[in-house]
Amino acid sequence: MSPALVLVAVVFVLVATGVYLVLERSLTRVLVGVILMSNGINVLFLVASGAAGEPALVGSAEPARMSDPLPQAMVLTAIVITLGLTAFLLAMAYRSWQLHGHDEVQDDVEDRQVRGRAVRDETSGSYDPDDEEAPVEERSEDRRRAHASPSPRDRSPGDGPRRAAQRREEGP
Amino acid sequence: MALVVLLGGLVALAAAAPLLGRALGRTSCLVLAGGLAAATALVAALVPGVVAGRDVVASTPWLPSLGVDAALRLDGVALVFVLVALVVGVLVLAYCARYLDDAEAAGPVPAVLVLFAAAMCGLVMADDLVLLYVCWEITTVCSFVLVSTAGAPATAPGRQALVVTVAGGLALLLAVVLVVVATGSTSVHALVSDPDRLLSSPLAGPVAALVVVAAATKSAQLPFQAWLPGAMVAMTPVSAYLHAATMVKAGVYLLVRTSAVFAGQPAWTAVLVSLGLTTALVGAVLALREHDLKGVLAYSTVSQLGLLVAAVGVGTPEALAAALLHTVAHALFKATLFMLVGIVDHETGSRDVRDLAGLRRVMPWTAAATGVAALSLGGVPPLLGFVSKEYLYEGFLTAGPAAWAGPVAVGVAVLASTLTLAYAARVAHGAFGGEELSHPGLHEPSPLFLAPGAVAALACAVLGPAVSWLSPLVEAATSAALPGEEAPEVYLWHGVTPQLVLSGVTLALGALLFVRRDAVDRVLQAWSPPSASAAFERGHAGLLRLGEVVGRPDRAGGAPAQLARLLVAVVVVAALAAVGLGPQPERLVSEDPVAWGVVVLAAGVLAAAALTRSSLVLVALGGTTGLLVAVWLLLRGALDVAITLLLVEVLTAVVLVLVLRGQPRRLPRTSARRALPVAATAAATGLAAGGAAWALTGRRPLSDVGAQVLAEAEPLTGGTNVVNVVLVDLRGLDTFLETVVVGVVALGLVVLGRGPAGRRTGPPGPDPVTEDLVLRVGTRLLAPLMVVLGAYLLWRGHDEPGGGFIAALVLGTAVALGHLAGGRAPFARTPRALRPSLLVGGGLLVALGTGLVPLLGGGALLAPFDLPLLGALGVTSALVFDVGVLLLVLGLAVAAVHSLDAGVPDAGRADEQRRATRPHRDADGEAGDDDGDGERDDARVRGTAGGRR
Repeated sequence: MSPALVLVAVVFVLVATGVYLVLERSLTRVLVGVILMSNGINVLFLVASGAAGEPALVGSAEPARMSDPLPQAMVLTAIVITLGLTAFLLAMAYRSWQLHGHDEVQDDVEDRQVRGRAVRDETSGSYDPDDEEAPVEERSEDRRRAHASPSPRDRSPGDGPRRAAQRREEGP
Repeated sequence: MALVVLLGGLVALAAAAPLLGRALGRTSCLVLAGGLAAATALVAALVPGVVAGRDVVASTPWLPSLGVDAALRLDGVALVFVLVALVVGVLVLAYCARYLDDAEAAGPVPAVLVLFAAAMCGLVMADDLVLLYVCWEITTVCSFVLVSTAGAPATAPGRQALVVTVAGGLALLLAVVLVVVATGSTSVHALVSDPDRLLSSPLAGPVAALVVVAAATKSAQLPFQAWLPGAMVAMTPVSAYLHAATMVKAGVYLLVRTSAVFAGQPAWTAVLVSLGLTTALVGAVLALREHDLKGVLAYSTVSQLGLLVAAVGVGTPEALAAALLHTVAHALFKATLFMLVGIVDHETGSRDVRDLAGLRRVMPWTAAATGVAALSLGGVPPLLGFVSKEYLYEGFLTAGPAAWAGPVAVGVAVLASTLTLAYAARVAHGAFGGEELSHPGLHEPSPLFLAPGAVAALACAVLGPAVSWLSPLVEAATSAALPGEEAPEVYLWHGVTPQLVLSGVTLALGALLFVRRDAVDRVLQAWSPPSASAAFERGHAGLLRLGEVVGRPDRAGGAPAQLARLLVAVVVVAALAAVGLGPQPERLVSEDPVAWGVVVLAAGVLAAAALTRSSLVLVALGGTTGLLVAVWLLLRGALDVAITLLLVEVLTAVVLVLVLRGQPRRLPRTSARRALPVAATAAATGLAAGGAAWALTGRRPLSDVGAQVLAEAEPLTGGTNVVNVVLVDLRGLDTFLETVVVGVVALGLVVLGRGPAGRRTGPPGPDPVTEDLVLRVGTRLLAPLMVVLGAYLLWRGHDEPGGGFIAALVLGTAVALGHLAGGRAPFARTPRALRPSLLVGGGLLVALGTGLVPLLGGGALLAPFDLPLLGALGVTSALVFDVGVLLLVLGLAVAAVHSLDAGVPDAGRADEQRRATRPHRDADGEAGDDDGDGERDDARVRGTAGGRR
């Protein structure tokens, strides 16, 4: 059996391009990157799993000449899982676009702040030591909802002023 | 059997405790106390047998492959500790019936106290080291939970207690592992009945050291003592039970238990005696320095545990008997003192001896009980504390190995006991003595509140003269702890002995210290000892900083930085593998100029994809390479995979286009600064993958499993499409779990799609009903055909290329096309029957149901079976399973289409309008949106948009 340099090159190109795109901040690019990368890995897996052969349909060829069905089943599974991953990434990109007007993954500033507080052993501003029944965030959310008008939807983070501006633009 | 009933009953009681608490309020604690009393009676019935030397055992295999059993053994040592745990438990829970209020009684405290009693009994009865360790950790966790109920003030002390005792638990675990390595057995009985097996191993020393560390943390010995006074923030019953009478004795128990192995080893004796006596002395000094009554008692516990550890360390039968007797005595008088101090605290709101005075005049009975217990603590004859202290002195006098060791040890013990008497007197006198009454208007607590403390105080008084009643227990325990040694009898009067003289000295000096208490106080207050808690906190903070430094690389902000590390790891692994694989065998390299053309083409396509700023171009180019790969798969004989990939690419493209309709088509520019490192990482990863393809190709022929599958697929299942047979029959569970993942993603999409609409999805786009005639007509023609094709592919999947995955993708593409076309095209709106939640749920039920049916007939999960009637039509169980797969994957496709359809660019406007028409609709209503609702909204939006135009 001979390794086809062509396939080595294909795996290289697919994975390299996939990684290049995955390391981007735009979720659309990340998405396509994941698809390319998974295609590359699937090719690698099938190439490494044995020689090509006839389709694994009993009766259509000699079993000895057939391709190995087991890796194929695994790759098939991997493709469907990648589909799920793609769909989820896509949904995130979509929501990100809906909420923030772009689909870029930002550095998690909030996470950094939380970490800083943990190091300094501080509690967050919304922590209420008198009432430990429910997670504080939830309750403050409720409180905000109770006072929010006309609807909590307007309260999506960092959204208020922009929305209002937009309404003005739309006009009557 | 009795032991299983005992433990099971206690656990059941703990489980029932919150319910009882809710139903009965604090009276429920009396029921719990009754339950513990019943347990005590059960154990009492076993006493004669155990004392006669017949251990009660129960054992069942737990982890047979490791030789670990859930083994219990009630011998003399365990009996003493079990009785202490249960009797004090009865008293403390009865005390809870008045100390707690109704809400607290319904809370976690009583339940965890009972659970703790079970864990403590399990700990001392465990005849397997692993079980012992598990129970040890359960007591730690119970302690932490109980301390934490004190709320915010308990945060720092609770953490300290947990960290210290868990560290000790880890030492114990390590000791257990080493014992298993050295002796090959986890049985406690085997360990203690044949000490030479461990002692002959070089691991004996490390095991002993680890056992001492574990015991020292649990029993609050120097330098780990600081957690115990800190744990006093817990409520009084908890302090009385866990942090005075029982849990802290677990360390002593461990030392007693391992005495059979280590007693008499000079290092063991030297370490334990010096550790224990130092702790005893330091603890006593610190106790005398305290003004908080609970603080006094906490340091007193530290000090008394020090005496116990030292006595166990001496290792002679006399010393061990003394330690066991003093364990009982200490549990009784310390629990009493805590409960009575708790009453004072409860009634006056203060525990500071400087605030309290003269309470004996309003609470004579409480004062009397406290006095008895304090005198017992101080070792005043003829109380139980006196007797046990006499024996401790006697034990220390026998201390070896050097001739001077005994006298020095007993001298330190006398000094510690002198201080003990002084602070014991201070506890009783501080609160109840004095002329003026600090808190007028108080009265005696209710009888039930006082009774537990009073009963224990009475026991201290009676069991002193009647100590011979305890003699059989102590003898049995001593001979169980030191097999083969003569156990001494215990009784009150020994005549005039050295230890009696020492007791006299102790009493005289202690009385002197008490009389001159003001002077003593001035001296002690002038001295400020270094704070052990602060030292702990410093160490703890340092450890956290170390963790921060170690973990810093993992905290890079942003996804690319995180991913880059993983990718670099991939490259490193690949490089290592390249070195490990060694030189490549000589192989022919096939060269095909035409194929190279394809590669060049693909590379160009991909380079363009990487650089383009148009999202549509990106999607199109990415999809193109997918199609190329699919063609290669087809040529390679992987028919099912090729079809699946083809359909996945089509579906992805259609859904992406659905989404991108509402998004800007321009992608952000890649910053030039980042491009180079990113490209380098990409190239390195690509090289790793390509290198793997090069290195791994041609190394294996058809796998054995593959050959077997090819040979047996048809005889076993009747299917001729082997890939599909593998999916639905041979690896059915794998497939099932995978489709579960797909179903979860589908539900996640549904939830994501329901969130607030937020800002509009883009500039007012074209009308959602597309103008594209070709697409509309094409879809109307194609969609029914695709449904038929999907059904056909499903049906033939077992024998020909096809199957559930492929059929689902065909149907999903039909749905997506319908959405894209809009208007009156089929599937332009998701039919109710195709709601993702319905598909996912139905698919799960069908797939799981098919898998479970064979179990009814005694077969294996997912085994194929014949369907009545349908079987004749060629419908097999595999086909039904494949239908489940189809439904789940279709659920994903429909969920993606449904929740990502951006063809409604005015989703935000729809919300606004809804708000305007239904201003009172609140967040709950929004959250409750189901798909049907969403559809109506869709319809309304379409109408609105049309109207505006």
